[in-house]
Amino acid sequence: MNLHIIVCIKSVLLRVPKGRTIRTAESCELNPFDRPTLEAALWLRGRYGGSVTVLSMGPESGTSALYEAIALGADRSILICDPALAGSDTLATSTVLGAAIKTLKPFDLVFFGTRTSDSDTGHVGPQTAVQLGVPLASQVLSMALGESGLIAERKMDGVLEKVQVSLPAVITVHQTSYPPGDPPLSGIQTAFEEGTIEKWGLKELSLSPESAGEPGSPTRLLSMTPISRERKCRILTGSSEGRADKLLKILMDSGGIS
Amino acid sequence: MDTFLQEKHHVLQRTVRAFCHREIIPIAGNIDKEARFPWEVQEKMARLGYFGIQVPAELGGAGMDTVSYITVIEEISRACAGLGLCVSVHNSVAVFPIMAFGSEAQKKKWIPSLARGEKIGAFCLTEPNAGSDASAIESTAIRDGDEYIINANKVFVTNGAIADTCLMFVRTDPDAGRRGISVVVVERGTKGFTVGEAEDLSGMRSNPVSSIRLQDCRVPVENLLGGEGRGLVIGLSALDTGRIGIAAQASGIALAALEETVKYAKQRRQFGVPIAKHQAIQMMIADMATQIDAARLLIYRAAVQKDRGNSFTQAAAMAKLYASEMSSRVTDMAVQVHGGYGYSKSYPVERYYRDARVTRIYEGTSEVHRMVIARGVLAE
Ligand SMILES: Cc1cc2nc3c(=O)[nH]c(=O)nc-3n(C[C@H](O)[C@H](O)[C@H](O)COP(=O)(O)OP(=O)(O)OC[C@H]3O[C@@H](n4cnc5c(N)ncnc54)[C@H](O)[C@@H]3O)c2cc1C
Repeated sequence: MNLHIIVCIKSVLLRVPKGRTIRTAESCELNPFDRPTLEAALWLRGRYGGSVTVLSMGPESGTSALYEAIALGADRSILICDPALAGSDTLATSTVLGAAIKTLKPFDLVFFGTRTSDSDTGHVGPQTAVQLGVPLASQVLSMALGESGLIAERKMDGVLEKVQVSLPAVITVHQTSYPPGDPPLSGIQTAFEEGTIEKWGLKELSLSPESAGEPGSPTRLLSMTPISRERKCRILTGSSEGRADKLLKILMDSGGIS
Repeated sequence: MDTFLQEKHHVLQRTVRAFCHREIIPIAGNIDKEARFPWEVQEKMARLGYFGIQVPAELGGAGMDTVSYITVIEEISRACAGLGLCVSVHNSVAVFPIMAFGSEAQKKKWIPSLARGEKIGAFCLTEPNAGSDASAIESTAIRDGDEYIINANKVFVTNGAIADTCLMFVRTDPDAGRRGISVVVVERGTKGFTVGEAEDLSGMRSNPVSSIRLQDCRVPVENLLGGEGRGLVIGLSALDTGRIGIAAQASGIALAALEETVKYAKQRRQFGVPIAKHQAIQMMIADMATQIDAARLLIYRAAVQKDRGNSFTQAAAMAKLYASEMSSRVTDMAVQVHGGYGYSKSYPVERYYRDARVTRIYEGTSEVHRMVIARGVLAE
């Protein structure tokens, strides 16, 4: 088996922005929820052979996340970067990623993280599966190749579900699935010395500007307001047992425990 | 620090930082208290290449530049200065001299296992009667056929109790004064090689700094590094590189102290407001941040000069002098901002304060550095 696995990754901001966001190598990192995803792909490649392509859509600063992926062992890495992509919502993002994935045919698996640390919609993986017209298994904990496709264990509330999907398929990988390793220094050095990042724009994807960026995005971000959580301190008095009972009641009333 | 750091260094910094957060910071307080060297972390660092940062790939290293080297040392020291010391000394004053002065055969023999961290290196210069005055060493290596018979009494050896490959500074010609000093590589396990008790140090307690004694130790002459009489040249050249590492270690400690101080100042309330609102605290924080950046600029300058192949002795000496004194001042202010809690082991600034102190002493005291720098300036 020679698997071609495409891993979609995102470069995210390290901190919540104050005012205008400037993305640089210093302020961005590989989305932490994508790390297990990449690890899963590398693990499958190690087990069954094949290659791993990482794909990222975003501004120029996204290269550092891609270099990190090469340092971890990815074979090929592509940044989709075009001024016309600014303002893309999750639908436009899925359209663009779908188009890019189609140009990377043949492929067997497309991996996504379940969410990102800086916007957290969870849309992009499932929507891209629809774009590609292939099956989806979400929140996957572990994988193995079966007789006719991929057997995946999914974690749901209180149950572990085992499903089989035919290939090609889209998988969103659960964040606790494959504990990510650290890139070795030699990996980082080689990634920057010898690694190349292919840069694609809308032209390479034969996409019209209307299908991406703001024109291709039915959703608009209206505002962003930081939420500050009020912390209240209450001192409970009485005997130890009395205080324990009071504390229990408060926690249960607030829904903290049941 | 974007002036000096390329994208590669940012990625490196982030990945080392993530490693330290996960593997070192949670245990740093305990290994200081117990004076324990964490082998479990050493093995992981070794696998990631932290013991061969600048060694070329052909010899098992990562082949990185000096800016990368100081980035790694700074981040490790930020988490645990004793481990930063282990990695700095190993890379700069044990591995580097073998790379720079060793024959091809010697490099092949020692470097791969050192670079992979399977073996740990040490630099054995200081003796009871020879500290700042390295030329006063009394240890001897007397030639006997194709062997040296070595008698040595070395003190304050960083990594002493865990080192496998030791660069031993000895007199091969007792009558030749400064020109009679040579470096011989001695491996642990050689008959007559004994390690003393680890020093009960004030800081850097996770590093087993120990004495090493060689008694009629027989070592093949092939273990001589760079020729007889070259000892001081090798030592000084190693220390030039080492000083950039110690400077980065000092700045790592100071960065950790600043981080803790900012956190504490925002959360501790006195007179009805967080103490960060008091101007006296703000002044200290401003001084800490400014002095840290000034030191880092000096460190990056020295590293960049080295990477460009320019002479960097003066720049490294200035970086080491300024960064170590800065680190002492900054950790002192960190304790001050923490008040009584800063003087207690329940907050990490107490450890940073102890750790920073020694950076003004080893690999050349501040006084010796001022002598070196003044000599350079006056010679211009
Ligand atoms: C934790 C730790 C780790 C160490 N690791 C190593 C190691 O791995 N390998 C190694 O070889 N050594 C190591 N050392 C030893 C260290 O390098 C020496 O302590 C240092 O060089 C100073 O020597 P000394 O302690 O003998 O002090 P001395 O040389 O006795 O100095 C005492 C004081 O006199 C001053 N002084 C000396 N000469 C002059 C002068 N000419 N003019 C003005 N002032 C002067 C000094 O600056 C200092 O203030 C380590 C020390 C420590 C504490």
